[in-house]
Amino acid sequence: MNYPIWDIAGVGQSLLIAVMAIVHVYIAHFAVGGGLFLVITERKGLREKSPAILEYTRNHSLFFLLLTLVLGALTGVGIWFVIGLISPAATSLLIHNFVFGWAIEWVFFVGEIVALFVYYYTFGKMGDKKHQIVGWLYFIYAWLSLFVISGIVTFMLSPGKWLETKNFWDGFFNPTFVPSVFFRTFLALSTAGLFGFMTSSFLRDPDFRNKMMRYCAKWLILPLVLLLVSSAWYMDALPDHPHRMIGGGSHDIQPFVKGFLYISPILLLGGLLLAVRMPGFLRRAVAVGMIVLGFLYTGSFEWIREGARRPFVVSEHLYSNSIPLELREKINTDGILAHARWVDIREITDENRMKAGRHLFNLQCASCHAIGGPINDITPLTAKFNVFGMDSMLDGLGKINRYMPPFHGTVTERAALAHYIVHGIHGKSESAVDPVKIQPLESAVPPFDEADDEYMVLAWNDLGMHCITDFDRVFGILPPANTLFAQVIKRGEVPELISEGITVTYTVPDGFAHPEKHVDFWEHSRELYGKDLEPGVGLSGNRVDGEFSYVHKHRAFVVDKIPVVPYTDEGAFLPYPLFTVEVKDLKTGDILTSTKVTAPTSTEMGCKNCHGGEYRVNGVAGIDEATALDILRVHDRISRTKLMERVRGGRPVSCRECHADPAAGSEGKPGIMNLSASVHGFHANHLSGRDGSICKKCHPADAAGVTKCLRGIHAMLGLECGSCHGMLEDHALALLKGEMEKGVPSAERIMAELKTRTAASVEEINPRQPWTQQPDCLNCHVNFNPPETFESFNQWTSNGDALYRNRSDAAGVMCAACHGSPHAVYPAVNPFGNNRDNIQPMQYQGNPYPIGANRNCKVCHRMEMPYEFHHPNSLADFRNAMY
Amino acid sequence: MSPSSLIPVAEKIPVAWGYLHFLLLLTFVLHILFMNVMVGSAVIALAGVVRKKSHNGVKLSENLAGKIPFITAFTVNLGVAPLLFIQVLYGNFIYVSSILMGVFWLSVVVILVIAYYSLYIFKMKFHSLGYMRILFMGIAVAVLLIIGFIFTNNMTLMLHPEKWSGYFSRPDGTMLNLSDPTLVPRYLHFMTASIAVGGLFVSILGHFKMKRDPLTGSAMKKTGLKYFFHGTLVQMFIGIVFLVTLPREIMSEFMGGNLLYTGTLLTGIALGVISLMAAAKSRLGLTTATTVLAVISMAVVRDFLRASYLKEHFTVSSLEVAPQYLPMILFFIILVIGLISVYVMLKWAHEAVAEGAS
Repeated sequence: MNYPIWDIAGVGQSLLIAVMAIVHVYIAHFAVGGGLFLVITERKGLREKSPAILEYTRNHSLFFLLLTLVLGALTGVGIWFVIGLISPAATSLLIHNFVFGWAIEWVFFVGEIVALFVYYYTFGKMGDKKHQIVGWLYFIYAWLSLFVISGIVTFMLSPGKWLETKNFWDGFFNPTFVPSVFFRTFLALSTAGLFGFMTSSFLRDPDFRNKMMRYCAKWLILPLVLLLVSSAWYMDALPDHPHRMIGGGSHDIQPFVKGFLYISPILLLGGLLLAVRMPGFLRRAVAVGMIVLGFLYTGSFEWIREGARRPFVVSEHLYSNSIPLELREKINTDGILAHARWVDIREITDENRMKAGRHLFNLQCASCHAIGGPINDITPLTAKFNVFGMDSMLDGLGKINRYMPPFHGTVTERAALAHYIVHGIHGKSESAVDPVKIQPLESAVPPFDEADDEYMVLAWNDLGMHCITDFDRVFGILPPANTLFAQVIKRGEVPELISEGITVTYTVPDGFAHPEKHVDFWEHSRELYGKDLEPGVGLSGNRVDGEFSYVHKHRAFVVDKIPVVPYTDEGAFLPYPLFTVEVKDLKTGDILTSTKVTAPTSTEMGCKNCHGGEYRVNGVAGIDEATALDILRVHDRISRTKLMERVRGGRPVSCRECHADPAAGSEGKPGIMNLSASVHGFHANHLSGRDGSICKKCHPADAAGVTKCLRGIHAMLGLECGSCHGMLEDHALALLKGEMEKGVPSAERIMAELKTRTAASVEEINPRQPWTQQPDCLNCHVNFNPPETFESFNQWTSNGDALYRNRSDAAGVMCAACHGSPHAVYPAVNPFGNNRDNIQPMQYQGNPYPIGANRNCKVCHRMEMPYEFHHPNSLADFRNAMY
Repeated sequence: MSPSSLIPVAEKIPVAWGYLHFLLLLTFVLHILFMNVMVGSAVIALAGVVRKKSHNGVKLSENLAGKIPFITAFTVNLGVAPLLFIQVLYGNFIYVSSILMGVFWLSVVVILVIAYYSLYIFKMKFHSLGYMRILFMGIAVAVLLIIGFIFTNNMTLMLHPEKWSGYFSRPDGTMLNLSDPTLVPRYLHFMTASIAVGGLFVSILGHFKMKRDPLTGSAMKKTGLKYFFHGTLVQMFIGIVFLVTLPREIMSEFMGGNLLYTGTLLTGIALGVISLMAAAKSRLGLTTATTVLAVISMAVVRDFLRASYLKEHFTVSSLEVAPQYLPMILFFIILVIGLISVYVMLKWAHEAVAEGAS
């Protein structure tokens, strides 16, 4: 922001810090603990009057001096150099706030150098008492250095009251300071033991060597036990956020947490092992191994500590990329290029987009991510994305998993960064997607004789579109399950809804008879949906051909969960198979009437837009393996699950096993969000601020796609998904609030960064349950009248019975019988042929409008009717006539 | 892109700038004296082993070999303090220049490790190294000279915000300030001073050796003063070159335009001339005293020069203070305690070594 960014993305800024810091920290701890080791060991030699011990101490102190005063001191300065180059803002903050803390530490540094030189060069020449005092002075100065540095380092992790007061002492004596001092002191002492092993293992006399090894073992083991106790204390003193990060919130530091936990007992055992008499060469090998382990141990701890304060470099104050928290809103409004000093682009144009993207990368990403370097390489992490996916990833960054800083800047800047990463770093080319050309299909409308035909049948699908997740060997949310309704009407002055004396059958169209050939649902139905099914049999026992059952409650014939899939035997993707529905006389078997109805079903789910992979079938639909696995990988990362492990073990993942899904009647596990709240809530964080059609990036309604499932009159009039369901964030918030009210803890985490769109505040949003609480048609069509508003968000049906798809009029005719399926209400425009969704209006009245529209009462009544019996305003001309 | 738009916003300081400024100058003088001794001694030690025919030269090298690592430790240590205070006062300039030359700046740490260990090897294996002495001391000297050059680049690049826009064509931290005509004279000004002060150091060592080993002692004293005299003579010339390569308006401030600036410079030059004359007469005490005073004067001149370069953009007095004095008071208390303990330890060490020798 304030400073230029050292552009070394090929190496990675974090690599430099990591290397310099870990080397320094290990030696620095040795420099403290080793100081005490020297003076105590010397005292032991003096007390035991052992020249051998004194000689050992002197030699050890030379090794100590050469390591700590040269490499230790210079890497210490080196850290300062590196952070000044990579994080100048944070360095400047630490320097300015703690200048006299550093100055005090510098005095201790002077004391250390003098004491250590005097100690080594006067060994055996100075009086014992004075020499011991010099040794103690060294240790005291070294420990005081640890004390001061601890204050400043823990300040970054837990600045505590400093955030308000900006007071030196508040920052220094912060909440984790004391446990950190204890922890580091014990670490320093154990490190002294480790290096003691090393020098002792080179002693020639086996007995003396043995004695010193045992002595060093005490140095290692006792402090190590205390270190573990103090690490629990340290952990306990952490503020919530870093505590969560270490506890699993940050996947990046988990390997190091494990490393720390695993190495602890190994070090203890190693210490015990070295205390046992064994050949010199073996001891030397083990001792060197222990030094390496100690290095990894210290490195793990430092990595955890650094990682725990992510996304900040100074917690709750300055982000890791040097963006101050307080400027967040301002930068999001004005753009980061407007605020950053060291950029030569302020306005993004088509010509400079790539260069601007590079600036944005440097400003936002480069402090942690390399481009190709050995640590935090951005390349594999972003390989799966196209520009849309990358942009959405950036959009959601740091919102749910608060490990990375959120993207700072405008939407245009975010897009430029996505553009740079996808095209600049990955060199992907992305041409505008051509809409798929769809060959219209013939949709033969069955004949109807208005004068003579006695019966009519109205049939529809309950949802207007049923999606299928069709990569069941990895995971399953939505099985093949298409539910059709039919109502049979005996025409007459008083038409009757017929329920007895007839059978209603359905027949699958050619090419769709064998869904089991196209998807692996039947191989995994037991694992995913809890049922062993014969191939071709759906979850309710129905096949793709069969008979409707009469459901009294609806006064309709229903066939539940027909396992039809949108793939034909010829290999085509066809999301609107046209079923034939026939009504037969139960006694005679004569066909009384018949019609056709689409069973809309699609696998065109846009998961791959962000999760990588491609459409599996003809490039237009179907989830492929890469996409499916990535979804689980992300789930594992965000929610700390082990889904990938399960899949690798041959067991696919059933989402509803944990996430309740009222549509499937599954209850999930307590404390876990229902599927709708979870999926919409999570993705809304990545798709913020978009328009009401963003839903189509996932649901099969993309203008460039095949299915285009939003195809009813509302869509034709320009309404979007959001018009009825609310903008994505609002939609998600309503679901999440529903879960929050039920006490599901994670809902709050997902909601935290979601900003309302049309609602003024989250408080104003009415919670809802998925599938049973939906927008009501009458919200806009008040009393069945033409709408005065085109927004229906936040007024939900009270329960499932009140849904459009379950409601009937006073005569018992279901709403959808005359108006068509949800999302495809008459007149609908089906991409495969204009009347594929309007069969019955076309069949019975020769137009695509609702049954009985334009005062066409006679379609059922065989005569004009004077009353608006079905619903108010039913005797009217169709307003949005299309033909 | 206007230079001032690139200058980062300065942060608040915890005490009035004068305290920090005083500490900056004080610690800088100490650092630069140690640095001079370190570099000068290393060069003289190298000369001693290169001209191996001269027995005295080799002996002098060996003598210096034992001391340079200590001096290096304190040079580094005393470098930390001024680097701290300059970051407090001029952070918005020096962080930038450091980043612009980040590759070189960071390399200082790495190559210094090499030099430092070379110096220790030179010291500890002096007798067994043979020809390799030249290699190790050669590496050390080369590294120290390179580090000096890198520092001079940084200290001048921070004064030139108008050059900073070079970042946009070289953002990888490989900029230097080579186009600055003052760069080379300024660099040489410090390095020549090092030869002179290194010589003076040798001379002082010789002086203290006189009691036990009068022959070697007087030879060292003579050699040292010779280095000092010639070094200082050259230094006078380089100083003039440095002065005339300064931008005209800045130079004029030191040539009468600003009485304080001019007076301090003249004082420094006068002290230098006196030290030269004293050295010619082998008056070591006076040479040392005037040299130290000259270094102090020149450090102040250097500070004025910085202010003069930056005045268009920034003055330290403009820094906002968010007062918190207690930490500084504590620092002074700890400094006094620390210095007392250092004094006691050095006294004991001196006694112990003296006892051991007697």
